[in-house]
Order: sequence, then structure tokens, then C-alpha cells
Amino acid sequence: MLLACFIIAVISAAGVFAARTDGMLKWLCSGFYLLQTAFAVYIIAAGTGETELLFFTFDRTGVLFHALMAVVSPVAFGYSLWYLDRETHVQKQLYHALFILLCASLTGVYYSNNIAVTWIFLEATTLCTAGIIYHRRTQRSLEATWKYIFVCSVGIAIAYLGVLLFGGLSHGADLSYAGLAESAAKANPLFLQLAFVFIVAGYSCKMEVFPLYTIGVDANMAAPAPASALISTVLVNGGFVSILRVYRVMESTAVSQWAGNVLIVAGLISVLTGAVFMRRTNHFKRFLSYSTVENMGIALIGLGLGGFAVFAAVLHVAGHTVLKSAMFLQASRAGKSFGHYQVKRLGSYINVNRPGAVVFMVAGLLLLAFPPSPLFISEIVIFREMAMQEKWILLAVTVLLLCSVMYNFARNIVRLCYNHVRAVPPVEKPGYGLLVPVLVLIAAAFVLGVWQPEWLTVWIKGVAGQY
Amino acid sequence: MLLALIILYVVTLVYLPITERFRNYTIIIALQGWILMGIAMLRLHTLDLWEMAFVVAETLVFKAIIVPVILMRTISRTGINRIAASGKSQFNALVLSIAALTASIIVTYYIADPTIDMVFFGVSLYALLSGLILITLRKRIFSHMVGFLVLENGVFLFSMAVGVELPALINIAIMLDILISVLMLGVFLTKIGGSMKNIDSDKLTMIKD
Repeated sequence: MLLACFIIAVISAAGVFAARTDGMLKWLCSGFYLLQTAFAVYIIAAGTGETELLFFTFDRTGVLFHALMAVVSPVAFGYSLWYLDRETHVQKQLYHALFILLCASLTGVYYSNNIAVTWIFLEATTLCTAGIIYHRRTQRSLEATWKYIFVCSVGIAIAYLGVLLFGGLSHGADLSYAGLAESAAKANPLFLQLAFVFIVAGYSCKMEVFPLYTIGVDANMAAPAPASALISTVLVNGGFVSILRVYRVMESTAVSQWAGNVLIVAGLISVLTGAVFMRRTNHFKRFLSYSTVENMGIALIGLGLGGFAVFAAVLHVAGHTVLKSAMFLQASRAGKSFGHYQVKRLGSYINVNRPGAVVFMVAGLLLLAFPPSPLFISEIVIFREMAMQEKWILLAVTVLLLCSVMYNFARNIVRLCYNHVRAVPPVEKPGYGLLVPVLVLIAAAFVLGVWQPEWLTVWIKGVAGQY
Repeated sequence: MLLALIILYVVTLVYLPITERFRNYTIIIALQGWILMGIAMLRLHTLDLWEMAFVVAETLVFKAIIVPVILMRTISRTGINRIAASGKSQFNALVLSIAALTASIIVTYYIADPTIDMVFFGVSLYALLSGLILITLRKRIFSHMVGFLVLENGVFLFSMAVGVELPALINIAIMLDILISVLMLGVFLTKIGGSMKNIDSDKLTMIKD
């Protein structure tokens, strides 16, 4: 089944490359996303288990994040069709083919049960994302592409050193996470610490957390906004899943507490970075990207704390995925109306697109963890875990930083909706075809936050402690 | 013989912060390719013949010939010759490099794990740090490219430490080498180098807050 999924992705991408008309391209892509969604539904219905491929397993972690991608990527594709109206056919071909290949690569990352295979598929995401960033073919996109390739390559090479260290520990045995957990339990602690630091530092470029977070922010700025919706959510999730799996390996070792502390420090610095730069930046997409840095920082802190906070971290990432993609997609409409993303020159959006402005405000409030947001639950649980572990300074600093984040986030959203600016674009039609998918994403956040059916809670708890 | 090659490899890394001519950088990269080939032949002789041939071809053809030729062409085409605008002086770079060497020795000494060849590990760590120092201290993008290649060579060297037991890891390292180097050199040569002559990284400032 998984092999068929990869083959379909490659054939679809090849078909898109070969498509002679925009109509053909649209049908091919639609077919792929339909199959991808059907595939995700099938796996959820069939339950977890082995795949026909040696290095992949349908575990709860993989299925959850694959399902999230199956929700977000078709919506981002639909927005891309509307957003890319000035491009040549060849540009569209490349963009959509890379979109499909990125989804396929991420499927590999989510389901991989082997540290080296995870690394290979993460590397593949670099190639796909670089092509998407270069889509505009301007000096700015060239600069962003160069920086993305360069920093990701350095990050991935550093992470590979970590993979090699784990390979050395397994001493010729397999590199599956389960096998590594066994060999790591008896390994030299300093060796494990080095391997873990290399991997977290390397994969941070994908998860958009400290130290290599900058590259994700730059990529989101240069890429078309619907692509940013994908980069800032499902690609970031790929980094999260990779770090989560390695962290699980570390849990069986004598340095698990130390590894948790590394994640907490990286997470806290990420939250600090988000808080500082969300105030400083004058570009709306960068502003949303720094919000991603901040949210992923919170998720890392949750992971590092361990216990029930791991459940909160997973819930946080899931909630962030649907909400941030909704924000980016709505931002693409605002950006297109205004013709730019300069925060200081954006305003009166409530008069331009009233439903769109409401989407910004609702999604913004949910992203700021106001109840009934799933992020409210996750943050409360993380704070409770900090209190239970008597990490009072960490709790105080995190709350303080989140206050700053809330203020800056709310300020920019209110400015976008109500600020008086000279150049206000003409009133937009509601465009229900574009509005409804974003509302579906926000509704998904409500499902996670308010309804949270029993099977979903059990599923997420499984992700948090399945191994 | 193996130890002599590794010492020579370390010497190339120590020379890296001292030199300021791009031609010298290219020669160092080529020399490292030859040294890695020698190490591969001595270290991995127990591997399957085809796998061994693949490794040797990668180190010799790709690392020691193709990449240096591409770099030399870039030097001729763009006219860049030396580090005109270095971030720090050569002296500072050397001090940092020696500090990195010391740190690598100390870490290796404290790990002292029998599961992995510690000489390979220590030298790889030093190569990683040397590459990062070059990327951080130098402003010219050409230096960044060389820094990345040095870093990658370090990773490849370390893959040989575990490669006797896990040849698949060496193959992955080779794929990393070829894929990323081709991509980066391609972008560098056809796009960046073409549109911006003699570029410093501080000219890449269109993307900022």
C-alpha cells in the first residue's frame, strides 16, 4: 500500500511535468490529493501495523501527521491554483510537481522506522522545498533558495554525523529506532549526548527551532503564500516527528533527563526568538513564521518536560498545523489584495474582505491559545507539568514571553484589520470557494480543542507514549 | 600508512585558516579527495569489490577531480582570487582552528569508546568544526562553499569509521555528497555566480526583517 502511494506520487509528478495544459495539470494534481486523502482514511480505518516495505511502519505518530498533511495539502493546492495566475505553464508545472514530491517525501519521513531512512527523506524535502522557494525566479527568491539549500545542507550534514554516531553504537545491527533504543541503553553517555545534539541541531532547520530556525523564516517569506502554508506546518511536522523519534530512543538511556533539558533550552530560546522578532519584523509572512518558531519552541519544551506534557506537545503541533495553515492561506488573499506583505502598509482589511478579516481574528485568537483552542489545552498541560516538576523559573519566563507574543500578535492582527492606511484595495468578493476550506481548517481546530472525540484523544496519547 | 594519511588530512585542515587564496582552497579540497581515497582503500578493503569500487570512484572522480575543476572554473569565470573582505584576521582564524582541534582531542579523549574508531571520530569532529569556522568567519560565498565541502569531507571520513560494519551508511554519505554538492555547486555556478560577481554574503540582504 505504501509502495503504491510512493509510485502514485512519482507518476503524478511526472504527469504534471508532462502536462501540456493547465487543465490537465489541475486534474492530475486533484487526482493525487484525492488518492492521498483516501490513503490516509484507509490507514486510519485499517489501524496501525507493518507495511510491505521494511523501513516503514504505520504507527500512530506517522498516521496522525500523515492525516494532517492529507487535510492541509489539498487546501494549499486549491489556493495555489488561484494564487498563481501570472506564472507561465512551465513554472506551474514545476511548482505543482514539487508540491506532490514534497508530500511524498514527508510521507516517507512520517512513516519511517529507521533513523537513516528518515534522514534520507528529510534530505529529499530540502530539494523539493528549494525548488518551490525559487518559484518566482527573482533576485530575492534566488537569495532565499541559496540560503535554504546552504543552511539545510549544513544542518543535514551535521545530523548525518549524529546518525553515524548512532550507527556506531548499534555496531552493525539495524538502524531501526527500536534497535537503537536497545543498543543506546548500554552506550557511552557522552557519545549519546553528542549524537543527540548533532541530530537536534541538524533537524532544527526543518522544525524551525533554535539554532537553525532562520532558514524556515526566510523560506516562508520568499515562497508563494500557499506554499508557506505547507512549509510552515507539514514540513515543520516532519522535523518534529524526526526529533520525537530520536528523543524516544534517548528515553531508555541514562542521559534522558539531559536530553530533555537540551530540548527545553532549545525550545525556550525559540520562544524568546519568536517573541522578539514578532515585534521587530515588518513582513507579514515573516511575522507568521516567527509565530511558528514560537509554537514549535513550546512543543519542544513539552517534549523536554516529558510525562503528560508530551501529549500536550503533540496536541500543540496538531492544532498549530491546522491554524497556521489557515492563517497563511488567508494571508495569501490579503497579500494579493494589497500587492505586498509590509505590515505597516496593511490595514482596513475588515472593509476589504469582512469574512477574511473575521478568519484572521478567529484563527489568531485560537493560535494565541484562547479557549476553546487546542493550544489552550496543550499550553495549560505544559504549564501544569512545569509546576509539578517545580520548574518555577522556566514557568515564569515562558509565561512572560508568551505575554509578549500575545501582545505583538494581537497588535499586528488588529492593525491588519482596522488600521487606517492610504492605499486600501477595492472590496473583495467573499469568494466562498476559498473561504470554506479555511473555515474547515478552523473547524478542525475546534474538533481538536472542544469536541476531541475519544478515539482522537486515545490516538494522540498513543503518539505520546506508544513505544 | 593509514595514520600518516590521517595526519596529512589534519594538516590540510590546519592550513585552511591560514591561506587566503581561493586557488589554495581548491587545491586543499582536491588533496582531501585523494587522501580520502587512500583512507578508503586501506580501511574498507574487506568490503565487496563493487562497493569498494563505488567508494573509490566517488572519492577520486567526484571529490578529487570534478569538484575542484568546478571550483577552478568558478575562480576563472568570476575573477575572484582571494579573501579581500575577511570577517576576521588569519591569526584569529588560526587560533580558533587550534581551539577546535584541542576541543576535538579533549572530546575524543573523554569518550574513549571501543565501539568506534576514535581517531576517525576526532578528526571528523575537527573537520566539522573547521568547516563551520570557515563558514562563520569568511564573508565570501566561495569560502562558504569550501567550508561546506570540508564539513562534508569530515562526515564522509567518519562514515568510513563505521562503514566496515555498515556499508549502507557509506553509500548514503556518498549520495549526500553527490546530490547536495551538485545542487549547491549548480546553483552557485549558474545562478549566484552569474548574477552577482565577486559576492560577499553581506550583499545577500534582500531577505531580512
